[in-house]
Amino acid sequence: MSELKRTQLYDEHVKAGATMVDFGGWDMPVQYPTGIVAEHLYTRHACGIFDVSHMGRILVEGPDRFRFLQHVVTSNVEALDLNRSQYTIIQAPDGSAVDDAYLYCFEEENIWLVVNAANIDKDLAYLMPLLNGYDCTLTNISDLWACIAVQGPKSKEILTVLSGGEPVTVEPIKNRLNTLTFEGHPVKIAKTGYTGEPLGYEVFCLSEDASWLWNRLIELGSKPAGLGARDTLRMEAGLPLYGHEMGMGQDGKPMPIYSAGVARFAVSFAPQKGDFVAKDVLWQQRQAFLRIMNRDFSDCEALPYRVLPIALLDRGVIRAGMEIYKGQRHVGWVTSGTMVPYYVAEGEGLESVITDAVAKRSIGLCYIASDTLADDPVEVDVRGKRLKAVIPEQHLSVDAPPFARPLIYGTELKALEAPEGDGLAKALTLIGKAERNHIWRQRECLNLIPSENTPSRAVQLLSGSDPAFRYAEHRKTKAFYDKDIFYYQGTKFIDETEQLLVEEMKKYFGCAEVETRVTSGQMANTTVFSALMDFKNRLDRKNTPKRLGYVMNNHIIRGGHLSAQPMGALHDYIAIDPKTEQNAIVNFPVLKDNIYKIDVEETKKLIDEYRPELIIFGKSMVLHKEPVAAIRKFVDEQKIPTTIMYDMAHVLGIVGPSFQDPFAEGAEIVTGSTHKTFFGPQRGVIAVNYKEDELKYELWETIERRAFPGAVSNHHLGTQLGMLMAAYEMNTFRKEYQQAVVDNAKSFAKALAAEGLKVEGDPSIGYTETHQVVVSVGYGQGPEIAERLEKNNIIVNYQATPDEEGFTASGALRMGVSEMTRFGFGEAEFKKAAALIAACIRGENVKEDVAKFRAEYQTMHYCFDDQTFFDALEHMAGVMGR
Amino acid sequence: MEHLDYQFSRSHEWLKEEDGLMIVGISDFAQNALGDVVFVNLPDVGDEVTAGEAFGDVESVKAVSDLISPVTGVVAEVNEELLDSPELLNSDPYGSWIIKVENVTDTEELLSAAAYEAFCETEE
Repeated sequence: MSELKRTQLYDEHVKAGATMVDFGGWDMPVQYPTGIVAEHLYTRHACGIFDVSHMGRILVEGPDRFRFLQHVVTSNVEALDLNRSQYTIIQAPDGSAVDDAYLYCFEEENIWLVVNAANIDKDLAYLMPLLNGYDCTLTNISDLWACIAVQGPKSKEILTVLSGGEPVTVEPIKNRLNTLTFEGHPVKIAKTGYTGEPLGYEVFCLSEDASWLWNRLIELGSKPAGLGARDTLRMEAGLPLYGHEMGMGQDGKPMPIYSAGVARFAVSFAPQKGDFVAKDVLWQQRQAFLRIMNRDFSDCEALPYRVLPIALLDRGVIRAGMEIYKGQRHVGWVTSGTMVPYYVAEGEGLESVITDAVAKRSIGLCYIASDTLADDPVEVDVRGKRLKAVIPEQHLSVDAPPFARPLIYGTELKALEAPEGDGLAKALTLIGKAERNHIWRQRECLNLIPSENTPSRAVQLLSGSDPAFRYAEHRKTKAFYDKDIFYYQGTKFIDETEQLLVEEMKKYFGCAEVETRVTSGQMANTTVFSALMDFKNRLDRKNTPKRLGYVMNNHIIRGGHLSAQPMGALHDYIAIDPKTEQNAIVNFPVLKDNIYKIDVEETKKLIDEYRPELIIFGKSMVLHKEPVAAIRKFVDEQKIPTTIMYDMAHVLGIVGPSFQDPFAEGAEIVTGSTHKTFFGPQRGVIAVNYKEDELKYELWETIERRAFPGAVSNHHLGTQLGMLMAAYEMNTFRKEYQQAVVDNAKSFAKALAAEGLKVEGDPSIGYTETHQVVVSVGYGQGPEIAERLEKNNIIVNYQATPDEEGFTASGALRMGVSEMTRFGFGEAEFKKAAALIAACIRGENVKEDVAKFRAEYQTMHYCFDDQTFFDALEHMAGVMGR
Repeated sequence: MEHLDYQFSRSHEWLKEEDGLMIVGISDFAQNALGDVVFVNLPDVGDEVTAGEAFGDVESVKAVSDLISPVTGVVAEVNEELLDSPELLNSDPYGSWIIKVENVTDTEELLSAAAYEAFCETEE
């Protein structure tokens, strides 16, 4: 037997007392003295470090590197921008995998191809002859660089210490990279890994720095984990291992690439890939895969088996190689299996707590007949005994970072307990609970959700009055010179209300046209996007309409509004970018020293490069003004055809000199919701500034048609009436209210900072220019602190800041001052509110203090309070009460 | 060397007589070599066991290993606590018996504690 190879960290493993084994010709630690179970759990709970220096690192250089890789790997390599990485598969001509691999673009000039340790010689022997005809080289640089995988919920915190506070990767998203210096040592970092951890990194360092980095990571709280834990972790995450879920199958035939679930995103047939190795065979596999996913099992020849998770239900342990049966039918084999530990969670949802109790489950992956569905019961032959097992959807979920959470098969949520008794008893219970809720939120709570407001009594009364139950569909009709024609009788009052509302809102925005029928901000956006797409295709009705692309917006993790994202209202209207095979979205770049603010100069460069058809300003976590005027000037000067829209959902009520005047600054379309900073009931609005003689006036007419009959038929006529009252209030009290909101937000931010809390935003301008204040409370602490505040009658949002992974990892609170401003709060009151919040975060019980404080602020301000108006309201309430 | 009253097989089981029953477990060396024990397959009470042959198995994260009976006889008791807490074999191998055997008719050639210790050194 030839001498086993050693990584740069071999001595560290031996020193730590690791059990060393031969792994693909490498002398590697399978476990440290603590054992696989403890290493697995520490990775899930805190941070495990893994020596992955044995993996092969190949430098791909030369002008033809993209063309070469497009030919020999399955992914679309053109999508590999700077500081991105990509999972890929090196395919054999028969459509099986030579190896699976990762591509990294740390520098513009080259690409790293990282392959399995045991396969590096085989991979190079396979790839080298294929280089013929390409101006491209492959160099094995495995000896120059070591690699340590740093995986688990604490990994980011640990690496951020080493980076001196620099963001570990350019964005907190999987497959993003960075090149940094860790305490003077150069490193290349990727947000990638093989554990399924939502927070996991692979850090490449120079060989001579490997021991230093390893020991530094341990000092900072990581613990070494060996190949044993690496295997249980990847199995739980459902990730394939070459030699088990790829390569030669248990049926004696090479496993088709599409049998592994990862093929779905690792294989691309993008036109720019041209004619690549095994394209036809992979296409056949893909066709079979599509049939199978549609539950058509009539032709599975190209894909007889698929790799799926398997969980044992009986006591025992499943192992690779064991046969799987459905009744008497032998349907497949376990490809990986063992007993995997997990921490038991108690409670449900966001309030579930991960306890110290450890349980174990026998799970794995299997290569099983393609007609197998999730939840199918199967049996595994465990050394002669048939044990019950099942095919679960997945073993682990990563959609609630910072933890990867085990999904235990058969776990069911507690059903809601229905109230007891007959219909009357239930109805009485409901009234009682509704009354309690109303009193709590209206009289006892500090309501600081920035997207909420309490409408005045007048708005509330009118919203519930008679038009609320009516129909009033109407449409402009050319034959009557665009006079609105109503389809229902009894609607003349409604017609008048709507016309008056449109006029009030035009006055509010200072714009040419307003559509008020949309019933939410989200619907306002959907209507605009639908209209933009329709307008784009208006001269060609004989072909399938083209979608919008590119569209520029604020990234959701930087506060972008959900309603302006492809996952929100843009979903059905955004094109796929053929280069990246993803939504044709370009995000506004942000300033390095203030990630809450758009970087105008960088934005101009991106606009020039991508020529977006639509630019959408506006956010739901918004501290600053959007640079509408600067971008308008730029696109006009450069004669770049585009549409500038401002989604003002959050800031609709502060349109004007206290904040921003979108149309004066050059926006063409403004959308919004009427109940956040504005005074209305929950509705939406669309405003445009197109004049009748402009080409884009046709776009306005399209917007009207997409509103009705596109988005609404009936349009909630009670709240429309309430909205007219809200518009009267706003146009009457606008100046004082808007100034108070912006002043209060700054006072509140300053007071929170004075209490020792970390307030986000630029302190030199008072942290905020809007109604919002964002406070950092510590990574992942947001949900728990928001819940604690709620128990103390303080209602806020927990919020992920731009460098956090998602809502469950939120480390901030988002608060708004508009509702409490309306109830009369000024600087002194927000100072007091800040003190109560700080005390509650420190752990004090302030529930009664908050209720007592709030009880003194029950009168709504910035609304009509004349005695005559009050009397009229009482009369109206009396009429409605009968 | 502790556990002087234990005898050992070359397949790393220990044997001890108590109240007329032969008690069987696995040695510290065995649990250490196995790593984290995650599952134990036990025989039923009344099953016959044969010296030198498997009576059950013990599974670690890494692999499964047979448990070899050092005696021939009938299973009188099984340690059911191990079904829920197999890790006891790691944390307390000499305190965690696996089976108790009665009607013993044959016994493998066994090693004293000192001889077993020397044997383990050759196994390293």
